[in-house]
Amino acid sequence: MGLEIIVMIKQVPDSSEVVIDPVTFTLNRGAARNVINPADENAIEQALLIKDKNPGTNITVITMGPPFAETALLDCMSRGVDRAILVTDRAFAGADTYPTGLTLAATITKIGKFDIIYAGEESTDSSTGHVGPGVAEFLGIEQASYTSNSWAEDGYVFAERQLEDGVETIKMEPPCLITVLTNANMPREATLRKKIDAMKKGIETWTLANIDLQPDWVGLKGSPTVVKSMRTINEKKREGKKFNVDEMDKFVDELVEKGILTFGVD
Amino acid sequence: MSEFDVIVVGAGPAGSAAAIRLASAKANVLLIDRADPPGSKNVSGGVLWGDSLGQVIPDWEKSNMLERYIEAKGVTFLTKDSKIALDFRSTKFGEVRSGYTVLRTKFDAWLAKKAKDAGAMVVSGVTVDKLAMEGNKVTGVIQNDEVVTADTVILAEGANSRIAIDSGLKKKSDDRHMAISVKEVIKLPEKTITERFNLTNAKRGYASEYVLGFLEGGVKAGGFLYTNRESISIGAVISMEDLRKNNQTYSYDIIEQFKEHPFIAPLLADGRVEEYSAHLVPEAGLSVDSIYGDGYMIAGDAAGLTFSNGLVLQGMNYAIVSGIGAADSYLATKGSTSPERFELYRDSLKKTFVLKDMNTFKGSDKVTWSETIHNTVPAMAEEIMLNIFSENGEPKKHLSKIVVESALKNKQRRKDMIVDMYRMMRRL
Repeated sequence: MGLEIIVMIKQVPDSSEVVIDPVTFTLNRGAARNVINPADENAIEQALLIKDKNPGTNITVITMGPPFAETALLDCMSRGVDRAILVTDRAFAGADTYPTGLTLAATITKIGKFDIIYAGEESTDSSTGHVGPGVAEFLGIEQASYTSNSWAEDGYVFAERQLEDGVETIKMEPPCLITVLTNANMPREATLRKKIDAMKKGIETWTLANIDLQPDWVGLKGSPTVVKSMRTINEKKREGKKFNVDEMDKFVDELVEKGILTFGVD
Repeated sequence: MSEFDVIVVGAGPAGSAAAIRLASAKANVLLIDRADPPGSKNVSGGVLWGDSLGQVIPDWEKSNMLERYIEAKGVTFLTKDSKIALDFRSTKFGEVRSGYTVLRTKFDAWLAKKAKDAGAMVVSGVTVDKLAMEGNKVTGVIQNDEVVTADTVILAEGANSRIAIDSGLKKKSDDRHMAISVKEVIKLPEKTITERFNLTNAKRGYASEYVLGFLEGGVKAGGFLYTNRESISIGAVISMEDLRKNNQTYSYDIIEQFKEHPFIAPLLADGRVEEYSAHLVPEAGLSVDSIYGDGYMIAGDAAGLTFSNGLVLQGMNYAIVSGIGAADSYLATKGSTSPERFELYRDSLKKTFVLKDMNTFKGSDKVTWSETIHNTVPAMAEEIMLNIFSENGEPKKHLSKIVVESALKNKQRRKDMIVDMYRMMRRL
């Protein structure tokens, strides 16, 4: 039997292309290309794996972001996602994780029926891991975080959570929310056929007007986080010294002298 | 009924120019590129000669994707110790067209964007596996075992021509007709470049082709150096055949030797390598009868449409003209099911400078890759120059005597020299 799955994604600057400004030491995201947040790719793959096993499954991917997030959504559709919704509005600007979760929860409520919501564990550009669990709380549904595998069986949803001391398998009744780790699976490649279909189909764009939220609840106004100050920690200059292979004694002596190496018996 | 009117494989200058032309004429066109952003894996030396692009993008010269307009063109011979250069500079470049240096990763993505703006569907980050065929007719492309159909396929896949070869449209290239080009982009401040190359201003550039006459082991290679706004593109073009014969020589050693040459190194001093790339260069074109067939046309590098006679090295302008030619041939014969309709492509190319140049300089590779050019000429030139420009207290000689003596020393018989001179005059 088919399931209704919603995947929440975020578009982030490609971390391999983010450069540090040599003068201000701030991250220059402008130079980097925008991609799907890596863990979100695993979330999409997890949803697709369920779709592979459960014909008739319908996957909708949603994101809250600027208009250029369209690229990331088209990329999701190119892998086999059925529908994509971009929730975009000037009013959402400056949102911290609280109104972001609220906005996504309101979007999901508008979409209607769903069995599983997937999200990546955390984003590479802010690493909070707040949004997925936040959405589950706003919607009042069960959730499983830090999952490396999940599947649907006999009307239940199972998820394996990777914890410090082992793997915990939990059984949930849908609807539920699952956040996925980057080691969960190997995201599939988009195909030409699906890319063409995605472009022909296009994505849907929603604004604040499409969801039942007050302007004061979203964006910067709805964000409780206040950044008090920000500072750059300058790189500490390290002392370098070269030793030849035949100078090992000298090398060890110097390490001892500097207190880096100590000899002793416990 | 096919899904697309035309599928263009490869978003380089040929593919994107074709797609822009087709989309502007309201054709339903799909442009596919393996890289994302499209064209970002494309490589070339980096000078776009001529103004062919104006045929599809009238205001192209206003684009900030162009680096510097060439006002100084060099042809340079290097020996281990010396540099013998022609350094042609002219304020007439402007009324007489030269070219712009471009950085392809940026430039090609911009071109593909123009195709998208014109209405083409641009799909990037996916590599076509092969062509879909019914008998000898090309009916579309295949990826992941799925077929996407088109009335016509324009193959602009670049020098490797993997799809054309795999689909049996083209024979695997002979080593003798291929060269490998290795290139580095070296970052330097705009002002430093303008000063080091004595350029009028930051918008004007220098381009030179080199004969690398200092290589040992019988490997022949040419070099190039082009100035971009804030970087220098430097590279070596090496005969594949020579590399294969001398398995102790590596392409990266050659570019290193070039960069470390006493008269090249100062030009690059304090620069930081920003990009490293390698690219196959078809040195002799395909026969004109194999660049088209039922349902397809081959354009750009894939059709072997590059030009080098040692004095200039060009490809992008030919690519653009061939791409536009393919697009126009499709548009002119649209609706026809005759397998012969694609002959128009060949015929139209014959009328342009593309095939005319290819014909005029047919066989020039025999000269550009000759021992004479790569070894004898640089060695003799060095000796003659040293003789003329030095002063060591000995009686001076006439130039003709110096040349003859040098030729004898370099084991060049007078007759051979005359033959080579004649060849050069005829073929370059």
